Amino acid sequence: MEFHRECNASGLLCPLPIIRTKKALTAMASGEVLRVVATDPGLLRDMPTLTQKTGDTLLEHAREGNTFVFYLRKS
Amino acid sequence: MTPTTTVLLGGWGVAFVFGAVANRSNFCTMGAVADVVNMGHWGRARSWMLALGVAVLGANLMVLAGWIDLSRSVYHRPVVPWLSLVLGGAVFGVGMTLAGGCPNRNLVRLGQGSMRSLVVLVFLGMSAYMTLKGVFAQWRAHYLDPVVLDVSSLGLRTLSLPSLLSRGTGWSLEQAELVSLAVIAGALLVFVLRDRSFRRQTLQLASAVVLGLLICAGWFITGYLGYGENEETLETVYFATNTRTLESLTFVGPVAYSLELLMLWSDKSLHATFGIMTVLGAFMGSLAMSVHRKSFHLEGFASTQDLGRHLTGAVLMGIGGVTSIGCTIGQGLSGLSTLAPASLLAVAGIVAGSALTMKWMARDDS
Repeated sequence: MEFHRECNASGLLCPLPIIRTKKALTAMASGEVLRVVATDPGLLRDMPTLTQKTGDTLLEHAREGNTFVFYLRKS
Repeated sequence: MTPTTTVLLGGWGVAFVFGAVANRSNFCTMGAVADVVNMGHWGRARSWMLALGVAVLGANLMVLAGWIDLSRSVYHRPVVPWLSLVLGGAVFGVGMTLAGGCPNRNLVRLGQGSMRSLVVLVFLGMSAYMTLKGVFAQWRAHYLDPVVLDVSSLGLRTLSLPSLLSRGTGWSLEQAELVSLAVIAGALLVFVLRDRSFRRQTLQLASAVVLGLLICAGWFITGYLGYGENEETLETVYFATNTRTLESLTFVGPVAYSLELLMLWSDKSLHATFGIMTVLGAFMGSLAMSVHRKSFHLEGFASTQDLGRHLTGAVLMGIGGVTSIGCTIGQGLSGLSTLAPASLLAVAGIVAGSALTMKWMARDDS
């Protein structure tokens, strides 16, 4: 999937992945897509919650071994 | 089975289930604070409060039934080191945020394969021991612990919500206990269960109830099953606890004592205790759940910066946890389950320290 910015949160634990994701989204224009790469499985629960609260859209997520990849579109 | 064996095996068993359930449900106090601070989401906070509500209910029903005497716990002492509780709590809160979770969370992560958590626990244990008996202890004892609020001058033998209520209203202690229990547990349960989306999360609901019951089980094991006459001294004692009184789950001191026992194994004056067995049990319970769900995988530090952050957090947790007489589980669940105002001070410090650290991380993260 095409994306405009990437946030690498690999190896980081709560709360850093969400903090970094929020910061990245804040710096983006409406409609742009953020790719988040992380290894904290808690994000599977946290990402939908974050997008629900911010109004952004979780487009898709995938798992590659122990790595999780999320695509979010800024509202 | 002797009372000592009952307490040791019971502690291991309670913590084994605690570790397994915390692993499965992602129960995490720091996570609950993070969700509220970073996303305005109260889901995990509701889980935490549900566990507390169940613990309050169960613990105080056992008091009313005459099974346990919570007034003898460390949380009800009439001389309250309030500065230690608040400052220690805040330092602990900073530490747990830097280290990705409290001692219990790190035990659960260790069971999931995190070598990062192994390092955190070792350094936490060392700094906790230094604060109990080492170089940090003299500073704690000299500068912080002497700053106290002594309620015995007000005619109170112990400091708890029921004792304050009884003193203020003239009600009997049993009446005050019943009212306190109904109000506090009731308020927590109403707040938690009024959220429809939380009510639909069966796993979170069930896990929180189980965790709250396990806190009660800890009190029952040490305060009822483990209370009796020492055959050698003929004294009535609480068997096999570090505090020499009844305890429930808490992890900072026990991690320190576990390290002590491992390092000084040949010292016959040292023995396994309820707390030490809960450390082992929590790790093993989480490990069993990880193996069962095939989610075990080894992981280490992401970078030198990550290592530095975790080491700093571990040391602060050890210092803060001992100074505030407990961690998120020790003061948060066990302490508050006894309706101790002193525990409220420690938990307020923990939450404040954690929340402020998250705010700082959000501004400063690079």
